[in-house]
Amino acid sequence: MSLLEIEGLEVSFGQTAAVRGIDLSVARGETHCIVGESGCGKSVTSLAIMALLAKGATRRTRRLTFDGRDISRYSEREMSRLRGHRMAMIFQEPMTSLNPAYTVGSQLAEVRTRHLGGTKAAALDRAAELLGRVGITAPGLRLGQFPHQLSGGLRQRVMIAMALMNDPELLIADEPTTALDVTIQAQILRLLATLQAELGLALLLITHDLGVVARVAHRVSVMYAGEVVENAATAELFAAPRHPYTRGLLDCLPVPGKLAPGAELGSIPGMVPKLGPDFVGCGFRSRCPLAREECAAPVPMRGAPHLYRCVIDA
Amino acid sequence: MSAIVIHDLQKHFRVKEGLFGAARLVRAVDGVTLSVPAGGTLGIVGESGCGKSTLARLILGLLPPTAGQVLVEGQDLSRLDRRARARLIQPVFQDPFSSLNPRRRIGDIVAQPLQAQGIGGAEAARRVAAMLEQVGIAPDMVKRFPAQLSGGQRQRVAIARALVLRPRILLCDEPTSALDVSVQSQILNLLAGLRREFALTTIFISHNLAVVEHIADTVAVMYLGRIVEEAPSRDLFAAPRHPYTRALLASVLTPEPGLGVPDVGLGDVLPDPSNIPPGCRFHPRCPVAIARCSTQVPPRVDGAECHLLATAG
Repeated sequence: MSLLEIEGLEVSFGQTAAVRGIDLSVARGETHCIVGESGCGKSVTSLAIMALLAKGATRRTRRLTFDGRDISRYSEREMSRLRGHRMAMIFQEPMTSLNPAYTVGSQLAEVRTRHLGGTKAAALDRAAELLGRVGITAPGLRLGQFPHQLSGGLRQRVMIAMALMNDPELLIADEPTTALDVTIQAQILRLLATLQAELGLALLLITHDLGVVARVAHRVSVMYAGEVVENAATAELFAAPRHPYTRGLLDCLPVPGKLAPGAELGSIPGMVPKLGPDFVGCGFRSRCPLAREECAAPVPMRGAPHLYRCVIDA
Repeated sequence: MSAIVIHDLQKHFRVKEGLFGAARLVRAVDGVTLSVPAGGTLGIVGESGCGKSTLARLILGLLPPTAGQVLVEGQDLSRLDRRARARLIQPVFQDPFSSLNPRRRIGDIVAQPLQAQGIGGAEAARRVAAMLEQVGIAPDMVKRFPAQLSGGQRQRVAIARALVLRPRILLCDEPTSALDVSVQSQILNLLAGLRREFALTTIFISHNLAVVEHIADTVAVMYLGRIVEEAPSRDLFAAPRHPYTRALLASVLTPEPGLGVPDVGLGDVLPDPSNIPPGCRFHPRCPVAIARCSTQVPPRVDGAECHLLATAG
């Protein structure tokens, strides 16, 4: 049994179906990446798991369990006891997730004392230890600083430390390195991968970057228009992508040394459709070079363990 | 022959920290010399704060340089008026959401550079229609507003606006950074096609090395206001010479599973253009620095500024 198990998750905002029935599981010690382009529903999925959706959103699910317990009907109070404690989250832009009016130390300490009690001094000790752990030199100095005094890379390290304050079992990271420079991105991802392995975390990483996926994920779910269209072990997915969207996406990527100078990059014509609640069938069919009539009917996942949602044999 | 020559360009800003703080000198661009042959594409790569966007604005004449010149086909841009400059060089910026006027229709946006040159009426309409067709915007979109377009379509409009005057030089500053990969590839293919068709000379600024490798024939690597290495694209990617270029290339995460995330070995010291280190400006982060690097400015040898290359060569 996986630590987090989801079946048939649906999220809609009024007349827009953002997530259209996805299955997902993350095991302890596993890094699972959700990859997709803007508007595919990947961030909404992570917020839905944490019950952090904006007002006006509707969440339905057949199954949502954390460590074997059904959390789909948890009250806000029960969820907030879980969040920041056994499941923690890191967002893309650390500046908007950190409170500018409080020092790093007091924000880190609060996360600890609120969930686990204890003294502020003990919590600050733990904070200093974790800042060192995430590669911040002079942690004592940093505890007394405000977020605006830190660089983007340091802020993201602070966010990671904050997420780890209460020894979470599940960590959800939504585009944690997208706002950072490539050299800093490499440092942060390396840190996340090391921590994940050493602490045996279940890590759900949400990204648009296939390079990041290839380097850190054990398992990948490719999302398109609110659905998981392919779900496979990372090496499998990159070696033999099965869904036409995954294949198209990989062809779009410029990879140094792979393409002759002047050769055209692959591309996917058209754009991501906005789907209403009554939409049925494959969401990619309007852009798919292989689309046929059956694609307008519901398309099931098939091909376990390398799952894909397409009527055409891969 | 070079279509554009950038000679020892410098831009220093005086920045005050707080209301009573002492003024500090930010050397955003600190002696950049580059040239691009007619029809060539120069890629400029670097991380945030390296001065690449300031360099773009200097090249476009949107900022007066502290020192140095930009010559397009032998003419000093700073001596030309805006209209003459606009006929020579045009920009495409990163964010098509803020670079297009939200209250004007697509057709008017693309016609504006023509109007500024005194071209209007049927002639302008004909050229706008032809240009929009070339960038793949359907004729029925002429009456729409930017908000009704997707990010990729807006960037196509921005490209049409830049090329409608048939400039000699196109300067793209992170033109695909705000776009999804499937849209990015459409825009890169479009730019490559237009470049051939119009025999454009292009300067392409980006933080994305994979994109630059794909589009540029020469690449310049910028660090704290200076070009630390410049080489033909193929050479630079096959055999980077400057330690910073090597770190930058190592940090590119290609979609190859099993390789893990590399240790780029740059440490925690971040570059600060208001406090440029003495000697080689990269030495505090350099994994192979020697004593000399912190005191002496490295010489430029075969396009790279590094003490180790100077002695090894």
